[in-house]
Amino acid sequence: MNALLLYLLLLKATGTSFSGLTSLPVVRHDLVERYHVLTDRQLNAAVAAGRTAPGPNGLYVVSVGYFVAGVPGACAGCLAAMTPAFIIIVLLRYLGRRAERPRVKSAIQSVTLAAAGLVISATIPLARDAITGPLPMAIAIASFLFLAFTRYATVWVILGAALAGLAASY
Amino acid sequence: MASVSLRRLTLICLRVSNLTFGGGDPTMAALQSELVTRHGWLPPDKYVLVYALARITPGTNILAFCAGAAWQLKGWPGAILAVLAATVPSAIAVVLLTAGYESLQHNAKALAAIAGTLAAAVGMMALSAWQLLRPHMHRRRALRALLLAATSALLSYRFRVSPIVVLGLAALAGFFWRAPEPA
Repeated sequence: MNALLLYLLLLKATGTSFSGLTSLPVVRHDLVERYHVLTDRQLNAAVAAGRTAPGPNGLYVVSVGYFVAGVPGACAGCLAAMTPAFIIIVLLRYLGRRAERPRVKSAIQSVTLAAAGLVISATIPLARDAITGPLPMAIAIASFLFLAFTRYATVWVILGAALAGLAASY
Repeated sequence: MASVSLRRLTLICLRVSNLTFGGGDPTMAALQSELVTRHGWLPPDKYVLVYALARITPGTNILAFCAGAAWQLKGWPGAILAVLAATVPSAIAVVLLTAGYESLQHNAKALAAIAGTLAAAVGMMALSAWQLLRPHMHRRRALRALLLAATSALLSYRFRVSPIVVLGLAALAGFFWRAPEPA
Protein backbone atom coordinates (compact mmCIF):
# COMPACT_ATOMS: atom_id res chain seq x y z
CA MET A 1 0.00 0.00 0.00
CA ASN A 2 1.42 3.40 -0.91
CA ALA A 3 1.99 6.02 1.77
CA LEU A 4 -0.57 8.50 0.36
CA LEU A 5 -3.44 6.00 0.45
CA LEU A 6 -2.32 4.88 3.90
CA TYR A 7 -2.28 8.54 5.06
CA LEU A 8 -5.81 9.10 3.73
CA LEU A 9 -7.13 5.92 5.38
CA LEU A 10 -5.50 6.77 8.71
CA LEU A 11 -6.70 10.37 8.42
CA LYS A 12 -10.24 9.04 7.93
CA ALA A 13 -9.79 7.19 11.23
CA THR A 14 -8.19 10.02 13.23
CA GLY A 15 -10.46 12.67 11.73
CA THR A 16 -13.59 10.86 12.87
CA SER A 17 -12.42 10.05 16.41
CA PHE A 18 -12.53 12.16 19.53
CA SER A 19 -9.85 10.71 21.82
CA GLY A 20 -7.28 7.98 22.45
CA LEU A 21 -8.16 4.69 20.83
CA THR A 22 -11.52 5.70 19.35
CA SER A 23 -9.94 5.69 15.88
CA LEU A 24 -9.13 1.98 16.29
CA PRO A 25 -12.41 0.55 14.87
CA VAL A 26 -12.00 2.51 11.62
CA VAL A 27 -8.31 1.52 11.37
CA ARG A 28 -9.23 -2.15 11.88
CA HIS A 29 -12.14 -1.97 9.43
CA ASP A 30 -9.99 -0.50 6.65
CA LEU A 31 -6.55 -2.07 7.13
CA VAL A 32 -7.38 -5.47 8.65
CA GLU A 33 -10.75 -6.33 7.10
CA ARG A 34 -10.86 -4.37 3.84
CA TYR A 35 -7.29 -4.14 2.53
CA HIS A 36 -5.71 -7.03 4.52
CA VAL A 37 -2.43 -5.15 4.97
CA LEU A 38 -2.41 -5.46 8.78
CA THR A 39 -3.13 -8.38 11.11
CA ASP A 40 -5.04 -8.26 14.39
CA ARG A 41 -1.81 -9.22 16.16
CA GLN A 42 0.03 -6.27 14.61
CA LEU A 43 -2.81 -3.91 15.51
CA ASN A 44 -2.65 -5.17 19.08
CA ALA A 45 1.13 -4.69 19.12
CA ALA A 46 0.67 -1.16 17.73
CA VAL A 47 -1.65 -0.31 20.65
CA ALA A 48 0.97 -1.66 23.09
CA ALA A 49 3.76 0.35 21.39
CA GLY A 50 1.63 3.51 21.36
CA ARG A 51 0.82 3.15 25.05
CA THR A 52 4.40 2.29 26.06
CA ALA A 53 5.93 5.41 24.56
CA PRO A 54 5.41 8.71 26.38
CA GLY A 55 3.25 11.33 24.70
CA PRO A 56 -0.20 11.23 23.13
CA ASN A 57 -1.95 7.82 23.16
CA GLY A 58 -3.29 8.40 19.64
CA LEU A 59 0.22 7.88 18.25
CA TYR A 60 -0.41 4.14 17.93
CA VAL A 61 -1.30 5.04 14.30
CA VAL A 62 2.43 5.71 13.76
CA SER A 63 3.10 2.08 14.69
CA VAL A 64 0.23 0.95 12.43
CA GLY A 65 1.79 2.93 9.56
CA TYR A 66 5.20 1.35 10.25
CA PHE A 67 3.74 -2.16 10.18
CA VAL A 68 1.99 -1.48 6.86
CA ALA A 69 4.67 0.44 4.93
CA GLY A 70 7.86 0.85 6.99
CA VAL A 71 9.28 4.32 7.68
CA PRO A 72 7.20 6.08 4.95
CA GLY A 73 4.13 4.45 6.54
CA ALA A 74 5.18 5.70 9.98
CA CYS A 75 5.48 9.23 8.53
CA ALA A 76 1.99 8.84 7.01
CA GLY A 77 0.70 7.75 10.44
CA CYS A 78 2.40 10.67 12.15
CA LEU A 79 0.89 13.15 9.66
CA ALA A 80 -2.54 11.53 10.06
CA ALA A 81 -2.27 11.98 13.83
CA MET A 82 -1.25 15.64 13.49
CA THR A 83 -3.59 16.85 10.73
CA PRO A 84 -6.94 16.93 12.62
CA ALA A 85 -5.35 19.01 15.42
CA PHE A 86 -5.44 22.07 13.16
CA ILE A 87 -9.24 21.92 12.91
CA ILE A 88 -9.26 23.66 16.31
CA ILE A 89 -7.95 26.81 14.61
CA VAL A 90 -10.99 26.87 12.32
CA LEU A 91 -13.19 26.31 15.39
CA LEU A 92 -11.46 29.13 17.31
CA ARG A 93 -11.71 31.48 14.36
CA TYR A 94 -15.23 30.90 13.14
CA LEU A 95 -17.15 29.10 15.88
CA GLY A 96 -15.70 30.27 19.18
CA ARG A 97 -18.22 29.75 21.94
CA ARG A 98 -20.99 28.75 19.51
CA ALA A 99 -19.42 25.26 19.52
CA GLU A 100 -20.68 25.03 23.10
CA ARG A 101 -24.31 24.98 21.90
CA PRO A 102 -26.25 22.15 23.55
CA ARG A 103 -27.24 20.35 20.32
CA VAL A 104 -23.67 20.42 18.94
CA LYS A 105 -22.28 19.22 22.29
CA SER A 106 -24.93 16.49 22.45
CA ALA A 107 -24.05 15.27 18.93
CA ILE A 108 -20.34 15.09 19.81
CA GLN A 109 -21.09 13.38 23.13
CA SER A 110 -23.16 10.77 21.27
CA VAL A 111 -20.32 10.17 18.81
CA THR A 112 -18.00 9.55 21.79
CA LEU A 113 -20.49 7.07 23.30
CA ALA A 114 -20.83 5.29 19.95
CA ALA A 115 -17.04 5.19 19.77
CA ALA A 116 -17.00 3.35 23.12
CA GLY A 117 -19.27 0.71 21.57
CA LEU A 118 -17.06 0.54 18.48
CA VAL A 119 -13.92 0.12 20.61
CA ILE A 120 -15.62 -2.83 22.36
CA SER A 121 -16.55 -4.28 18.96
CA ALA A 122 -12.95 -3.91 17.71
CA THR A 123 -11.50 -5.35 20.93
CA ILE A 124 -13.32 -8.69 20.58
CA PRO A 125 -11.28 -10.02 17.59
CA LEU A 126 -8.06 -8.66 19.08
CA ALA A 127 -8.87 -10.42 22.37
CA ARG A 128 -9.49 -13.69 20.48
CA ASP A 129 -5.97 -13.41 19.08
CA ALA A 130 -4.22 -12.39 22.32
CA ILE A 131 -6.18 -14.19 25.06
CA THR A 132 -5.10 -17.78 24.47
CA GLY A 133 -5.26 -19.14 28.04
CA PRO A 134 -5.69 -18.31 31.71
CA LEU A 135 -2.44 -16.30 32.02
CA PRO A 136 -3.17 -13.82 29.18
CA MET A 137 -6.71 -13.49 30.58
CA ALA A 138 -5.29 -12.69 34.03
CA ILE A 139 -2.84 -10.19 32.50
CA ALA A 140 -5.65 -8.43 30.55
CA ILE A 141 -7.87 -8.16 33.66
CA ALA A 142 -4.96 -7.06 35.88
CA SER A 143 -3.95 -4.38 33.32
CA PHE A 144 -7.51 -3.05 33.22
CA LEU A 145 -7.77 -2.89 37.01
CA PHE A 146 -4.26 -1.52 37.57
CA LEU A 147 -4.74 1.36 35.12
CA ALA A 148 -8.32 2.02 36.23
CA PHE A 149 -7.53 2.26 39.94
CA THR A 150 -3.95 3.51 40.23
CA ARG A 151 -2.05 6.47 38.82
CA TYR A 152 1.00 4.52 37.65
CA ALA A 153 2.15 5.09 34.04
CA THR A 154 1.13 2.61 31.35
CA VAL A 155 4.76 1.73 30.72
CA TRP A 156 4.90 -0.13 34.07
CA VAL A 157 1.86 -2.22 33.11
CA ILE A 158 3.47 -3.14 29.79
CA LEU A 159 6.74 -4.06 31.51
CA GLY A 160 4.92 -6.11 34.16
CA ALA A 161 2.91 -7.93 31.48
CA ALA A 162 6.09 -8.68 29.50
CA LEU A 163 7.80 -10.05 32.63
CA ALA A 164 4.75 -12.20 33.47
CA GLY A 165 4.74 -13.61 29.92
CA LEU A 166 8.48 -14.26 30.11
CA ALA A 167 8.28 -15.91 33.55
CA ALA A 168 5.51 -18.21 32.32
CA SER A 169 7.72 -19.43 29.47
CA TYR A 170 10.31 -20.98 31.85
CA MET B 1 -0.24 39.48 28.59
CA ALA B 2 3.49 38.72 29.01
CA SER B 3 5.61 38.66 25.84
CA VAL B 4 5.66 35.22 24.27
CA SER B 5 8.79 33.63 22.83
CA LEU B 6 8.14 31.21 19.94
CA ARG B 7 11.19 29.18 20.92
CA ARG B 8 10.15 28.86 24.56
CA LEU B 9 6.55 28.07 23.62
CA THR B 10 7.75 25.27 21.32
CA LEU B 11 10.12 23.92 23.97
CA ILE B 12 7.31 23.86 26.56
CA CYS B 13 5.07 21.85 24.17
CA LEU B 14 8.02 19.55 23.41
CA ARG B 15 8.83 18.92 27.07
CA VAL B 16 5.31 18.64 28.49
CA SER B 17 3.77 16.56 25.68
CA ASN B 18 6.61 14.08 25.33
CA LEU B 19 7.49 13.57 28.98
CA THR B 20 4.05 13.41 30.59
CA PHE B 21 2.52 9.96 30.91
CA GLY B 22 -1.18 9.38 31.51
CA GLY B 23 -2.87 10.82 28.42
CA GLY B 24 -4.53 14.12 27.57
CA ASP B 25 -5.85 15.44 30.88
CA PRO B 26 -2.59 15.32 32.89
CA THR B 27 -0.77 16.85 29.90
CA MET B 28 -3.29 19.67 29.49
CA ALA B 29 -3.08 20.32 33.25
CA ALA B 30 0.72 20.56 32.96
CA LEU B 31 0.39 22.96 30.00
CA GLN B 32 -2.13 25.07 31.95
CA SER B 33 0.36 25.36 34.76
CA GLU B 34 3.10 26.47 32.31
CA LEU B 35 1.14 28.76 29.96
CA VAL B 36 -1.41 30.28 32.35
CA THR B 37 0.05 30.17 35.84
CA ARG B 38 3.82 30.25 35.42
CA HIS B 39 4.33 32.41 32.32
CA GLY B 40 0.99 34.26 32.24
CA TRP B 41 0.91 34.05 28.44
CA LEU B 42 -2.61 32.66 28.10
CA PRO B 43 -5.46 34.38 30.02
CA PRO B 44 -7.61 31.87 31.98
CA ASP B 45 -10.73 32.54 29.84
CA LYS B 46 -8.80 31.78 26.63
CA TYR B 47 -7.37 28.63 28.23
CA VAL B 48 -10.89 27.45 29.06
CA LEU B 49 -12.08 28.14 25.49
CA VAL B 50 -9.09 26.29 23.94
CA TYR B 51 -9.54 23.41 26.42
CA ALA B 52 -13.26 23.09 25.58
CA LEU B 53 -12.69 23.24 21.82
CA ALA B 54 -9.79 20.74 22.04
CA ARG B 55 -12.24 18.25 23.58
CA ILE B 56 -14.54 18.52 20.57
CA THR B 57 -11.84 18.65 17.89
CA PRO B 58 -11.42 15.32 16.07
CA GLY B 59 -8.21 13.40 16.63
CA THR B 60 -5.90 13.57 19.62
CA ASN B 61 -7.14 16.16 22.14
CA ILE B 62 -3.72 17.17 23.41
CA LEU B 63 -2.42 17.91 19.90
CA ALA B 64 -5.50 20.06 19.23
CA PHE B 65 -4.89 21.84 22.54
CA CYS B 66 -1.24 22.57 21.61
CA ALA B 67 -2.32 23.81 18.15
CA GLY B 68 -5.09 26.02 19.59
CA ALA B 69 -3.07 27.49 22.47
CA ALA B 70 -0.01 28.15 20.29
CA TRP B 71 -2.18 29.68 17.53
CA GLN B 72 -3.68 32.08 20.08
CA LEU B 73 -0.18 33.14 21.12
CA LYS B 74 1.93 32.97 17.95
CA GLY B 75 -0.37 32.35 14.98
CA TRP B 76 0.18 29.60 12.41
CA PRO B 77 4.00 29.29 12.92
CA GLY B 78 3.36 28.73 16.63
CA ALA B 79 0.62 26.15 15.97
CA ILE B 80 2.68 24.16 13.44
CA LEU B 81 5.82 24.13 15.61
CA ALA B 82 3.82 23.21 18.73
CA VAL B 83 2.14 20.24 17.05
CA LEU B 84 5.45 19.05 15.53
CA ALA B 85 7.19 19.40 18.90
CA ALA B 86 4.39 17.54 20.69
CA THR B 87 4.32 14.70 18.17
CA VAL B 88 7.64 13.92 16.49
CA PRO B 89 9.80 12.77 19.48
CA SER B 90 7.06 10.41 20.75
CA ALA B 91 6.41 9.17 17.20
CA ILE B 92 10.11 8.26 16.89
CA ALA B 93 9.88 6.34 20.19
CA VAL B 94 6.81 4.49 18.85
CA VAL B 95 8.69 3.54 15.64
CA LEU B 96 11.68 2.25 17.64
CA LEU B 97 9.39 0.16 19.86
CA THR B 98 7.59 -1.24 16.81
CA ALA B 99 10.88 -2.04 15.04
CA GLY B 100 12.02 -3.79 18.24
CA TYR B 101 8.83 -5.84 18.23
CA GLU B 102 9.38 -6.89 14.61
CA SER B 103 13.04 -7.81 15.13
CA LEU B 104 12.18 -10.02 18.13
CA GLN B 105 9.54 -12.05 16.26
CA HIS B 106 11.80 -15.13 15.98
CA ASN B 107 13.05 -15.23 19.56
CA ALA B 108 10.95 -17.61 21.68
CA LYS B 109 11.59 -15.79 24.99
CA ALA B 110 10.87 -12.41 23.41
CA LEU B 111 7.67 -13.79 21.89
CA ALA B 112 6.53 -14.93 25.35
CA ALA B 113 7.15 -11.41 26.69
CA ILE B 114 5.36 -9.87 23.68
CA ALA B 115 2.37 -12.19 24.23
CA GLY B 116 2.13 -10.73 27.74
CA THR B 117 2.13 -7.16 26.38
CA LEU B 118 -0.54 -8.04 23.77
CA ALA B 119 -2.80 -9.37 26.54
CA ALA B 120 -2.19 -6.15 28.47
CA ALA B 121 -3.16 -4.14 25.35
CA VAL B 122 -6.55 -5.90 25.33
CA GLY B 123 -7.08 -4.76 28.93
CA MET B 124 -6.12 -1.23 27.89
CA MET B 125 -8.63 -1.20 25.04
CA ALA B 126 -11.39 -2.37 27.35
CA LEU B 127 -10.35 0.39 29.75
CA SER B 128 -10.46 2.94 26.93
CA ALA B 129 -14.09 1.99 26.21
CA TRP B 130 -14.94 2.20 29.92
CA GLN B 131 -13.26 5.60 30.28
CA LEU B 132 -15.39 6.93 27.42
CA LEU B 133 -18.55 5.62 29.08
CA ARG B 134 -17.79 6.41 32.72
CA PRO B 135 -18.51 10.20 32.68
CA HIS B 136 -22.02 9.41 31.41
CA MET B 137 -22.86 6.76 34.00
CA HIS B 138 -25.03 9.08 36.12
CA ARG B 139 -28.45 7.82 37.11
CA ARG B 140 -30.43 9.92 34.60
CA ARG B 141 -27.95 9.62 31.71
CA ALA B 142 -26.74 6.05 32.04
CA LEU B 143 -29.57 4.42 30.07
CA ARG B 144 -29.07 6.70 27.06
CA ALA B 145 -25.29 6.23 27.20
CA LEU B 146 -25.51 2.43 27.43
CA LEU B 147 -28.12 2.30 24.68
CA LEU B 148 -25.97 4.36 22.28
CA ALA B 149 -22.80 2.36 23.05
CA ALA B 150 -24.51 -1.06 22.90
CA THR B 151 -26.33 -0.23 19.65
CA SER B 152 -23.07 0.93 18.08
CA ALA B 153 -21.23 -2.22 19.19
CA LEU B 154 -24.05 -4.40 17.85
CA LEU B 155 -24.25 -2.58 14.50
CA SER B 156 -20.51 -2.89 14.03
CA TYR B 157 -19.85 -6.39 15.35
CA ARG B 158 -23.03 -8.26 14.45
CA PHE B 159 -24.23 -6.41 11.33
CA ARG B 160 -20.79 -5.29 10.02
CA VAL B 161 -21.96 -1.67 9.57
CA SER B 162 -19.01 0.61 8.73
CA PRO B 163 -17.71 2.56 11.78
CA ILE B 164 -18.07 5.84 9.87
CA VAL B 165 -21.79 5.14 9.26
CA VAL B 166 -22.24 4.21 12.94
CA LEU B 167 -20.58 7.45 14.06
CA GLY B 168 -22.72 9.47 11.62
CA LEU B 169 -25.90 7.86 12.93
CA ALA B 170 -24.77 8.56 16.51
CA ALA B 171 -24.16 12.24 15.70
CA LEU B 172 -27.64 12.47 14.20
CA ALA B 173 -29.20 10.72 17.20
CA GLY B 174 -27.33 13.03 19.59
CA PHE B 175 -28.39 16.16 17.71
CA PHE B 176 -32.08 15.32 18.16
CA TRP B 177 -31.97 13.31 21.42
CA ARG B 178 -30.17 15.26 24.13
CA ALA B 179 -29.12 13.70 27.43
CA PRO B 180 -31.22 14.80 30.43
CA GLU B 181 -29.54 17.38 32.66
CA PRO B 182 -27.97 15.88 35.81
CA ALA B 183 -30.31 16.13 38.83
